[in-house]
Amino acid sequence: MATILDGRETSAKIKEELKQRIAALGGKGVRPGLAGVLVGEDPGSASYIKLKEKAAEGLGIHSSMVRLPAEISQQQLLEKIDQLNRDGAVHGIFLQLPLPAHLDENAALKAVLPGKDVDGFHPENVGKAWMGEEAFLPATPLGIDEIVRRYGYELAGRRVVIVNVDNLVGKPLASMWAQESVGAVVTLCPPTQPNLLHFTRDADILVVAVDKPGFITADMVKNGVIAIDFGANYLPDPTTGKERLVGDLDFDGLLAVAEAITPVPGGIGPMTVTMLMLSTVRAAELAAGLA
Amino acid sequence: MTAQIISGKEVAEKIRAELQPRVEKLKASGVTPGLAAVILGEDPGALSYLKGIAKGCEAVGVMTETFTLPEDATQEQLEKQVIDLNNDSRFHGIIIQRPLPKHLNENAVLRLLATEKDVDCLSPLSMAKLVMREPGGFAPCTPSAVAELLDRYNVTIDGKRVVVVGGAGNIGRTVGIILLNRWATVILCDYKTTNPAEEYQRAEILVSCVGRAKMVTADMISPGTVIIDVGVSRGEDGKMSGDVDFEPVSEIAGMITPVPGGVGAVTTTILLAHTVEAAERAQ
Repeated sequence: MATILDGRETSAKIKEELKQRIAALGGKGVRPGLAGVLVGEDPGSASYIKLKEKAAEGLGIHSSMVRLPAEISQQQLLEKIDQLNRDGAVHGIFLQLPLPAHLDENAALKAVLPGKDVDGFHPENVGKAWMGEEAFLPATPLGIDEIVRRYGYELAGRRVVIVNVDNLVGKPLASMWAQESVGAVVTLCPPTQPNLLHFTRDADILVVAVDKPGFITADMVKNGVIAIDFGANYLPDPTTGKERLVGDLDFDGLLAVAEAITPVPGGIGPMTVTMLMLSTVRAAELAAGLA
Repeated sequence: MTAQIISGKEVAEKIRAELQPRVEKLKASGVTPGLAAVILGEDPGALSYLKGIAKGCEAVGVMTETFTLPEDATQEQLEKQVIDLNNDSRFHGIIIQRPLPKHLNENAVLRLLATEKDVDCLSPLSMAKLVMREPGGFAPCTPSAVAELLDRYNVTIDGKRVVVVGGAGNIGRTVGIILLNRWATVILCDYKTTNPAEEYQRAEILVSCVGRAKMVTADMISPGTVIIDVGVSRGEDGKMSGDVDFEPVSEIAGMITPVPGGVGAVTTTILLAHTVEAAERAQ
């Protein structure tokens, strides 16, 4: 039976460690501050920003969530971002995406100061990460890295296969793991690869985010694989008829052959909010000269 | 069987021949493509590199000028130089000698480079464009040369298994992103990987970017593999060598680039091509 990589439990542990780092910052008179910007009233975005707000408050991070009306102009949005950029009490800034269609999301992301861009979406952070320099990284690849390491799995000498090549997961994860200091063999595999099986079967560590329920089955992996699932698919539950969240792995099938596996929900998902907190604390430490 | 030689020299000649009419057309409309090079001090290596570039520029009709700052130039001086060149419409491309001396903040300088003039992708903002597949920037010249050589020899990239030796280094990782953007499946190998042969033997295209003479040997290669050798170093015999043990490997591989005369022979020409393209885009 595979070990379940528990994102909730791991998250809780990381939060305990963050509390100590936040206390150390407090000793220097610094309280980490996180600002989020939500435009409009999309219920999904509203509940997500609430999660982040709660997480910040639970850790003693100063949280200032800015809720702006849907009809705000680009200029007004940029002014708000600029105000947060100049606010010394704010160490991290994120924009809750997607923005309403009339706003230029790219331009807004570029307006966030790279040193406060705790989501790692500013082009300067994207570029630096790929150039092997210190940079803020998106929460998902950070969460994947943390969970693998915290369960004690080595990356050095391992074959990592990432079935996802987008800007939020596959590419930043590759930029983290394709480093001489890590020593892994990293495969970036577009989901369109005609012989996908040849690659997934090679993986010691398999990361999948294709949003196809049950896409990776037990016959597509090797025994002892560490399988990481960041798929999000909503399927009707056969008994209740209610929608439920499932990942890209055939979870029950893989349980028997994998060394370790992340569940959906309860795997990488819960890690992402915590990773945003981690990046915020790091931003505060950098600003305070502690990192 | 002997591998087909992928000749960087021939590709470079072809590209230069294609650039000439484009430059003429630009000149006819009153624009001479211009490349500015910024260097600090008189490092002989940098000077000889620039001499090569100047020769290439001359051959295709690109105007070039070197801006030499003192070795102990301040951050402000260098930043001012870059901003002046960004605003100077005579120059469509700008390159800056690296690494910069330690007293300077290299990052702060490079991020100032106007993306549309950053013809060797020195700025992280240009790199982000490449990674995020956004138009308007340029890929770095050496990794671009890899794709150019494959294209010119009609090697399909889409769907291929590409192994990058030294894929955990900056050049290798960037080769990876360029070929990934062309829908290859890219395997970034650290050069210290424990069972290199296992990875290399299954490559359809193998690109080596390490700089260790003859580290890729014939027993690690399968028949038919297309091999692009980016590495340059001196072998035990003191001669210039690629990462690939050329003679024996070329008996097995499908296609192979020599060193010298392979990737290195194309990179300067790519720099010229980017400069001409920047001038065209500016119109």
